[in-house]
Amino acid sequence: MRLSFYPGCSLEGMANDYARSIDTVFRDLGIDLVEIEDWSCCGATAAHSLSQTMSVVLPARNLAVAEKMGLDIVSPCAMCFNRLRFSQNMIRKKVFDIPWHVTGELRVHDMTRFMAEPSMIKSIKKRVLKPLNGLRVVCYYGCQMVRPPKITGYTDYENPQTLDRIIATTGAQVIDWSYKSTCCGASIGIARREIQESLTRRILQKAQQAGAEAIVVSCPLCQSNLDIIQKDRSDRCTPVFYFTELLRLSFMESGASKLFKMHFADPVSLLKAKRLL
Amino acid sequence: MESYLNSPVGKVIVVGGGIGGIQCALDLADTGFYVYLIEKSHTLGGTMARLDKTFPTNDCSTCMFSPKLVQVAGHANIEILTLSRILELNGGPGRFAARIEKQPRYINEEKCISCGKCAEKCPQKVPDPFNGELGIRKAAFLTFPQAVPLKYALDAENCIYLNNGKCGICKKICPAQAVEFDQKSEILQIDAGAVVISTGFVPALTVKEGEFGYGRYRNVVTSLQYERMLSATGPYGGHLRRPSDEKVPRKIAWIQCAMSRDPARNRPFCSSVCCMHAAKQAVLTRSHEPDTEATIFFIDIRAHGKGFDDYIERARSRHGVRYRRSMISQVYLNPENDNLIIETFDHHLNCKKEEEYDLVVLSSGFKPSDDFIDLTKQFGLVTNPYGFLTTEFDEPVTTSRPGIFVCGGIESPKDIPETVIQAGAAAAEASILISSARNSEIIVEKISDEMPVDKTPRVGVLVCHCGTNIAGVVDIQKVLEYVKKLPNVSYATDFMFTCSTETQQAIVELIKEQNLNRIVVAACSPNTHEPLFQDTLREAGLNPYLFEMASIRDQCSWVHGNDPEKATEKSKELIRASVSRAVQLEPLYEKSYPVVNEGLVIGGGVAGMTAALTIADQGFHVHLVEKNDRLGGFAGNIKFTLEGNSPSRLIRYLIERVTHHPKISVYLKSRLISHAGHLGAFHGTVQKKGEPINIQYGAVIAATGGRPYEPDEYLYGQDERILTQIEFAKRLMEDPLWTRRLKRIVMIQCVGSREPDFLYCSRVCCAAAVKNSIKLKEMNPGAQIVVLYRDLRTFGFKELYYLKARQKGVLFFRYVPEEKPKVYDENGQLIVDFTDRSSHENFRVEPDLIVLSSGIRPDEGAKQIARLLKLPTTDEGFFLEAHVKLKPVEFATSGIFLAGSAHSPRFVEEAVTMAKSAGQQAMKVICQEEMTTSAAVAEVQPDECAACLVCVKICPYGAPFINEEGVSQIPPSACMGCGICASECPAKAIALKHCTDDQLLAKIDALLESALEIEN
Amino acid sequence: MQNIISGLNQAHEHVPGKKRKLIGDRGDFFLNRMQGETGVNISACYQCERCTNACPVSHFMDIKPHQAIRYVQLGWREDLLKSSTIWICLSCEMCTTYCPNEVDVAEIIHHLRNMAVHSSITPKEKSLAVFHQTFLEVLRKSGRINELRLMNAYYLKPDILHERIKNNILKEDLLLGMALLRKGRLKLFTPKFRAIKEIKKAYSQTRGEIV
Repeated sequence: MRLSFYPGCSLEGMANDYARSIDTVFRDLGIDLVEIEDWSCCGATAAHSLSQTMSVVLPARNLAVAEKMGLDIVSPCAMCFNRLRFSQNMIRKKVFDIPWHVTGELRVHDMTRFMAEPSMIKSIKKRVLKPLNGLRVVCYYGCQMVRPPKITGYTDYENPQTLDRIIATTGAQVIDWSYKSTCCGASIGIARREIQESLTRRILQKAQQAGAEAIVVSCPLCQSNLDIIQKDRSDRCTPVFYFTELLRLSFMESGASKLFKMHFADPVSLLKAKRLL
Repeated sequence: MESYLNSPVGKVIVVGGGIGGIQCALDLADTGFYVYLIEKSHTLGGTMARLDKTFPTNDCSTCMFSPKLVQVAGHANIEILTLSRILELNGGPGRFAARIEKQPRYINEEKCISCGKCAEKCPQKVPDPFNGELGIRKAAFLTFPQAVPLKYALDAENCIYLNNGKCGICKKICPAQAVEFDQKSEILQIDAGAVVISTGFVPALTVKEGEFGYGRYRNVVTSLQYERMLSATGPYGGHLRRPSDEKVPRKIAWIQCAMSRDPARNRPFCSSVCCMHAAKQAVLTRSHEPDTEATIFFIDIRAHGKGFDDYIERARSRHGVRYRRSMISQVYLNPENDNLIIETFDHHLNCKKEEEYDLVVLSSGFKPSDDFIDLTKQFGLVTNPYGFLTTEFDEPVTTSRPGIFVCGGIESPKDIPETVIQAGAAAAEASILISSARNSEIIVEKISDEMPVDKTPRVGVLVCHCGTNIAGVVDIQKVLEYVKKLPNVSYATDFMFTCSTETQQAIVELIKEQNLNRIVVAACSPNTHEPLFQDTLREAGLNPYLFEMASIRDQCSWVHGNDPEKATEKSKELIRASVSRAVQLEPLYEKSYPVVNEGLVIGGGVAGMTAALTIADQGFHVHLVEKNDRLGGFAGNIKFTLEGNSPSRLIRYLIERVTHHPKISVYLKSRLISHAGHLGAFHGTVQKKGEPINIQYGAVIAATGGRPYEPDEYLYGQDERILTQIEFAKRLMEDPLWTRRLKRIVMIQCVGSREPDFLYCSRVCCAAAVKNSIKLKEMNPGAQIVVLYRDLRTFGFKELYYLKARQKGVLFFRYVPEEKPKVYDENGQLIVDFTDRSSHENFRVEPDLIVLSSGIRPDEGAKQIARLLKLPTTDEGFFLEAHVKLKPVEFATSGIFLAGSAHSPRFVEEAVTMAKSAGQQAMKVICQEEMTTSAAVAEVQPDECAACLVCVKICPYGAPFINEEGVSQIPPSACMGCGICASECPAKAIALKHCTDDQLLAKIDALLESALEIEN
Repeated sequence: MQNIISGLNQAHEHVPGKKRKLIGDRGDFFLNRMQGETGVNISACYQCERCTNACPVSHFMDIKPHQAIRYVQLGWREDLLKSSTIWICLSCEMCTTYCPNEVDVAEIIHHLRNMAVHSSITPKEKSLAVFHQTFLEVLRKSGRINELRLMNAYYLKPDILHERIKNNILKEDLLLGMALLRKGRLKLFTPKFRAIKEIKKAYSQTRGEIV
């Protein structure tokens, strides 16, 4: 299977570990991810806030390249996925001039949805060498992947299941909780850190209350918000994993602690306690 | 099609066995038609059977409903087909042919004696759908204890035997050999002259939508599930518990408008009933558990019915129900205690708050059931986009296919009284359509000749085991031995189920063989079973008043289950007392009298004229009395409705028909000045232009109507730029130039309504404001319209027009009664100052026109009619019906009915419906040749009477009067047998037959016998 | 149990003290413009406050989401453009998702942001507005976003550094930056992309320049 891959800017920097784990996992699963050639930033919230045209045009450029490649897109970043879908929507409405030839007919997958398809779950199950038994996690989806449902296609936006299904396949115990898609504060932290921290801290507290030892995410911004806030905490930290990190761990016969060195909330002691490292 | 109507079939098919279908069936069967009542489930009852209590009286729903169920079950002219659905419907009005499929019950209805053994022994437990899947029932089951037919059934989906051929326990243990595993579905062919659809509604919220965590969190339930949770027959036996841990919930939140008023979910309409049932549930919760907090989250409180606002006010102030105007987005779970978290924004503190609740009740909106969609397709009926059956404004119960009528929740979401009213109207339409076939298909019960009663009492005592209900506690053999020795008892025996059909035959034979002349049945309760046994006596040729019942189940075995010995003793005593009374009983004879086959309608408005036509179109004469010099009433002033119909055109049409109808005599500029007589035989005097005319009539319909309230607030009358909605609508139509010049107008709602001196919501004003706003925006899109409201009450599908008005740019702001808008004139400029409660800002508008939504008051004429006919009224002057839920168009006094705005403010189409319904109730009297009076009535001993007038004053039905001899007389036909006069008469001159002092004293003496023995 | 999540600190003065504002004098012009440009039926709102309850940051906003909708209906453009609301919004789309009347509240707020940057009004939450602006500038220059470059550019904006020093958060920022560097989460260099040229062109076009 071949898909075009739109990593997004975060995966080159803050979420470099996400990128690496995706790489390994997809190689293991035998899926060929072809990075969109010369891709550019989706514009994120900034473009949407300041220039409606740019919010359509910027993702459209990547859509155009992918269309030329003729491969459906998979996006690991919730924000990129949301912006690509939004742009696609607007392109079809034909109310903006796009400098590139683009029809908006390609399928844009969010990576978790793609991986949660029954056939994918099946092949993941086959690859699991070391089930993550005993690890109690909650899955956190954030906003951009699921809302607004008209763009994202998630009708179960309050209780999405994609990550839950994927992680359950690894053998970890997935705990249901109510705050799967409650906002973590997103990028407001750069200018108004107190707002972001109050929201992030609450998610963390609710996850702990639900009995989670770790949080599983798919969004780079959610990961960094939830992770960085724990940077000065040595006790009772709740590691925040990208779902592909856990997949990779379960695909390996014996883990390696170096895989998690970008984390602030250190997962090593937890994983060791669970005999997963 | 015409040919069918020349000789129609005198039978009607009613589809749906809820309150609507039951009422409609009774209204037809009582007017000379044979009815097939088709119900898809195992029992009649519908949604109402699942309710715990009903507002405003908080009466037990079952207690109100089960007499109706008993009535319909025992009606000779109603054939109940449960587990049935229509597969095909051919033909046309006058003659429909229906193919009906009846699913197997697997228990023979004729044989089943409802002993309950099958359910007791059935090993298969399944979640009980009747209880919203909260409780457990068996695969062999009875839906609820008052089910009709009261017959068990096997649930084919879950029965072990039916699914894999093993088990079969029920068949082995059934004492009546009623279990039939090999039953197959049957196809029936029936014909009928008309069809009424009353398939009701189901909650729109399902687990699939998952709104507010429904289906995800165990302590989130729908309002219908909560009804079951409150109910004594529900999963928690009437104790308030929550599903997750069966603990008593201490904080409960109601969330309104779940799947209602939600265009985003393609449910843009209001479900009309949820505001009131949430209020009721909150009140009941507070009285069940005074320590439990009840909070209702809502958008607008829609308390648009009679006395509703009063109820809400009591819920708030007396019962401490908290009302929070705030719509909730999402419900979260606290995993530590299964509590639910609701986040709200607090405007006062400017903070986000999370509050924990033990239980969340979602006031789910309603939708037609899925299988109804197939039915509409099958019948070729037109529905609206949400699946409800659409009807026309002037024919509010007529569907798009001739000969098929509709009532109840399937027409639009509605409450019980509106359903009952509509059921009567649907019955009226069917009855009009096939009136030439009246009495052609009905079964007249044969009454056998009575044997003369022997003076010596020969009492027969029949003791019932009631399965194990009585026999499990009371020692029947001991009781029998004792009873046999009692004086005057000639024969005593016992039966497993005295009420079963076979036993009735046995009783008839016993009476004849043993020559018995008094019968005492010691069993359940006379409330449910007396009429059945009386019929058996009749069949045996014994006067039915020679019957007495000892309640050894309800009043003994059920309450003393833990003390069998004493229960046995008590049974003996109860029977002894009954035997003593039985000895004193005397045969009583019901008298019959001829009925005047004419009706009287008071009021010539839309309701009065429609009611008159309903009767006249069925071939009976009607007197229509109107105090003004023209017909038409208030509705004649209304040029257009919210939905775009024309009441004034309807009025013109009705006047045309009424004035030319050969069966209607119209009395204009006339008043009814005297009225006397009783049900079926009234007489009175109409004064027409000073001239008295004597008339006779069998029934009366009071349709005195309403009048617009003339405001004295907000400068009305002092400034010509201030109009009422009626005046504004008129001007809109008459003066388009003026309309186009309007720049800014303000509408103020609740003028003269919902005030301390007039607590009513006038129901129609919100729709009027929306209607006129839309009209103005259509004619002059640039006009700015500001509507100041308290709660916007565009209930039902009228909500769509509220949405339309908003979409057209009409601005709606909410004010509170403590801070009413201020209207004043500043140098010739009108100014309205108000505080908006949503944005929390003080606003000013400078309009060039102010429109006041002034309410509806009862017509002045109602007072005189109330005095003359002795009719009760509310404090506000509206007539008070016999029962707010089940008898909305009847008065407590038989033979007098009620329609239109004289009952409470109503829309034109609602007045039409109500008038048809009242007309049909009157038809129940007028179409009879003769009526029988009950024999258990009060009788005056003229010699003893001192004419003190106590009885005349105290009788709630106005029956006693002082006759020509100067003493009190009580016409048997007017007496309802309540006995108040008998107990109040200072001279003891009144006796209530069948409850005479001798009879009661004999019973009491016998009861006290043992106590006296001990004392001695 | 009742829990205040956050925001108690900035309780604002309530109704009685507020000045009376004239309404109905502005016609439908602003409303119609907003409806036309966003395709959102703003007038369908019935003020149920579901958006404000759903919003995770409504307590940081001076005009609450449901009030913002009302302000658009009343044509109070300046109040909206001057508000903190339009910059505080996190674009989490809770309001849009839960609105029963399908009012896309988030889209309206985005559009107001759009309008605000093209107006002469100084944004109330300047640091947020400048951040978005910086983001786009970096994007235009390099086609992709490098977090380190973005932060550098942001701090070099007038007032931002000053404000950070004044509010005593600069030290924290620097410490965080160091920590991120240590963890290897910041990329130091960005290669040039062919994309830049195309993006620059598109960007100029959106500003009305003829290229």
